[in-house]
Amino acid sequence: MPDGLTTTQTAARGKGRPKVADTAAPSLVELLNLIRAADPTTRQELERKSELGRAVVADRLTMLADLGLIDESETGTATGGRAPRLVRLAARRGRILVATLDQTALGVGVADLAGNLLTEHHEEFELNAPPEMLADRLTTLLRWSLDRQSSPAGLWGISLSVPGTVPGTEGDFLTRTPPAVPAWEGFPLVEQLTRSFGAPVWMRSSVDTMTMGELHAGAGQALSSMLFVKIGRRIGAGIVSEGRLYRGAQGATGLIGALPVHLGDRTGTLDTMAGSDMVLREGRHVAESGRSAYLADHLRRGGEITALDVAQAAQMGDEACTEILTTSGRLIGQVVATLTNTLNPELIVLSGAIVQTNDIMLAAVREAVYGASHPLVTRDLRIIRSQMGSSAGLVGAARAAAELLFAPTFLKDWVMQGSPLNHPGFIAFRGSLDLAPPPPPQSPPPRKGAP
Amino acid sequence: MSISGLGPHGERAAPPERVSLLPEDGAAAKARGFRVAVVLHTLDSDWAQQLLSGMVGTFGDCGTAVTHVIDCAFSPDAQVRALDSLLAQRPDAVISLPVANEEVALAHARLAEAGIKLVLLDNAPTGLLPGRHYGTLVSADNFGLGKIAAQGLSAHLPQGAEVGLMGYAADFFATNERELAFAKWLRAHRPDVTIRQDSFGRIDEAARRTEAMLVAYPDLAGLFVVWDTPALKVAEVLRRQLRQIPIATVDLGEEVAIGLAQGSPFVVIAAQQPYLQGVAAAQTTILTLLGRPTPGWIALSGIAVTRENVVESYQRIWRRPAPQSVLHAVGLIR
Repeated sequence: MPDGLTTTQTAARGKGRPKVADTAAPSLVELLNLIRAADPTTRQELERKSELGRAVVADRLTMLADLGLIDESETGTATGGRAPRLVRLAARRGRILVATLDQTALGVGVADLAGNLLTEHHEEFELNAPPEMLADRLTTLLRWSLDRQSSPAGLWGISLSVPGTVPGTEGDFLTRTPPAVPAWEGFPLVEQLTRSFGAPVWMRSSVDTMTMGELHAGAGQALSSMLFVKIGRRIGAGIVSEGRLYRGAQGATGLIGALPVHLGDRTGTLDTMAGSDMVLREGRHVAESGRSAYLADHLRRGGEITALDVAQAAQMGDEACTEILTTSGRLIGQVVATLTNTLNPELIVLSGAIVQTNDIMLAAVREAVYGASHPLVTRDLRIIRSQMGSSAGLVGAARAAAELLFAPTFLKDWVMQGSPLNHPGFIAFRGSLDLAPPPPPQSPPPRKGAP
Repeated sequence: MSISGLGPHGERAAPPERVSLLPEDGAAAKARGFRVAVVLHTLDSDWAQQLLSGMVGTFGDCGTAVTHVIDCAFSPDAQVRALDSLLAQRPDAVISLPVANEEVALAHARLAEAGIKLVLLDNAPTGLLPGRHYGTLVSADNFGLGKIAAQGLSAHLPQGAEVGLMGYAADFFATNERELAFAKWLRAHRPDVTIRQDSFGRIDEAARRTEAMLVAYPDLAGLFVVWDTPALKVAEVLRRQLRQIPIATVDLGEEVAIGLAQGSPFVVIAAQQPYLQGVAAAQTTILTLLGRPTPGWIALSGIAVTRENVVESYQRIWRRPAPQSVLHAVGLIR
């Protein structure tokens, strides 16, 4: 940022008169968020929406342009007079590193400040592995992703999508690792990432991020109500109402996997009765008993059965596997029907490797939801599979970070410095990490220059 | 089938059998008389020719005309122009190998918006989604290819060796996967090995980058190059400098096969199956055009080729006898 904005003007100003920096910040915050919400927009639109005077808007836009936060190089379409200048967020000014940590996979990517994903990579990883291994692989892949993007834009934040609810995320950025995954108990993942990359870290549940990803870049674009259902070992739901993710009091919404369901004389939670562990367990059973010719053949060839094999066998027409997925789909559908009658969504999106591998589970969920819902609720309802896969989590993590970066309470303290890395709270946090003893060495030690 | 990697959106791979055609599919396609265009990164490689062979033959069986085969010469601009020109030609479907990421994403999306079905090969630009912008991505298990290369090269590396990884500078799904998997395998199984990494933006840069790498790290004891055409440039540098450094690469091109049979400099090849990939891509296209559901990602497993199995691997991959020089080098003819 140009130093003159603060230092020179401060020196020349009379005693008792407020600094421009102090008075300008609220209007800068307001204008920047108006620009983000209607990207691109025009000066006239900003004057109308902000109710600020033309001179003030012009002055603040000049300041934002000097800080490198907006771009006014394009012109729009003329509607009579001179073509208006378009005002855009300078989305490529900074980059956000994103990662999804799933039970069996790790995804990483780079996004711009508008939350658009620029690159991504996914690979298998068991989340039950020691946290040191996770931190090592995550750091390696995030570093590789940054290097892959030959951009001068600095890193402005890291946003993680993790399974399960993330408690303790109040505040501007994370200063400690929330107990989101039992295996991380006491492991300073957030602190390590902040120390390694010098950028603030955020964390959200994967259901939250995937719902946001689907809403902003997937089938939910431009919709005001949507239900997102993630089916894996755990089954969770994300709720979109009035175009926004509903997060509840503690961010613990949509925990439908904990609801009791009944199948014949058996009762259990939806997770245990319909999740991927049930698909795997039943799949092994029909493979070993020979009821599934496809899976029995897989076993004979020395293959290990996975839930995905069961889903693929069902797709290939195997009767026993079709039955397993139908049972799971119907149980999930019953619970989703209750939510559907309560929330009246325009769209239900099912996500997760099993449902994305075959059509049987989707059909069973549809049957249960349409059969148990009020006709008014299902009249225009669409139930589809996610087209985004794990990319939804990365896009959603990027959108979450962008929202937090530009949240008025956080933005007001960094906007005049031109970068969130200069936020006083973040500088103080980095300072405290530098004073703290370094974490124990990882094994094996990371090597420079190799992914 | 054993697939190591995940798809561009984290998808689990579907096997090529998922898109097998039934006799009625072939008959339905013949009745419709589809027109298909193919847009490739290059036509100037054994891999591309073999892929086309599998693809065009399968389309022929289904009464589908291949109306355009376009060589983009690895140029994003050329690919954008090619795709935009196809908008006017309005083929029923386009099979494309996107040569870059962001630079070509919108041009591919424009095809989908125009109602032209799109099937991708080897790379899915970020932001393009299966089922929305394209039907299916058909690729090799590139993560698996990287692992095969690392495992094969590892046997030739002394304790504490330095290895050069010559990657591709473009943000390209297939080569990214190979590079990451190669390094990941060594890190996990050969923690004593140090990897020195560089990349080339164009094939003709590979030699210069290798020369620089050899100056910076004169003790390199092995090299991995992410595919065979640049690997030949690297081998040429080693030959000129009279350096005996084992090389691992991807794709069993003819010259590479000869080097492998002679035992130097190539010691392991992680081979794709381009003919079968071409068949799978054509079958996927036919099913997409018939309105049948297809998986988001179909992956074909790689083949580990060494001097010991180079002849049968060559026949399996290229569907023709191995060259005389290969047969001679392994002692099958005099």
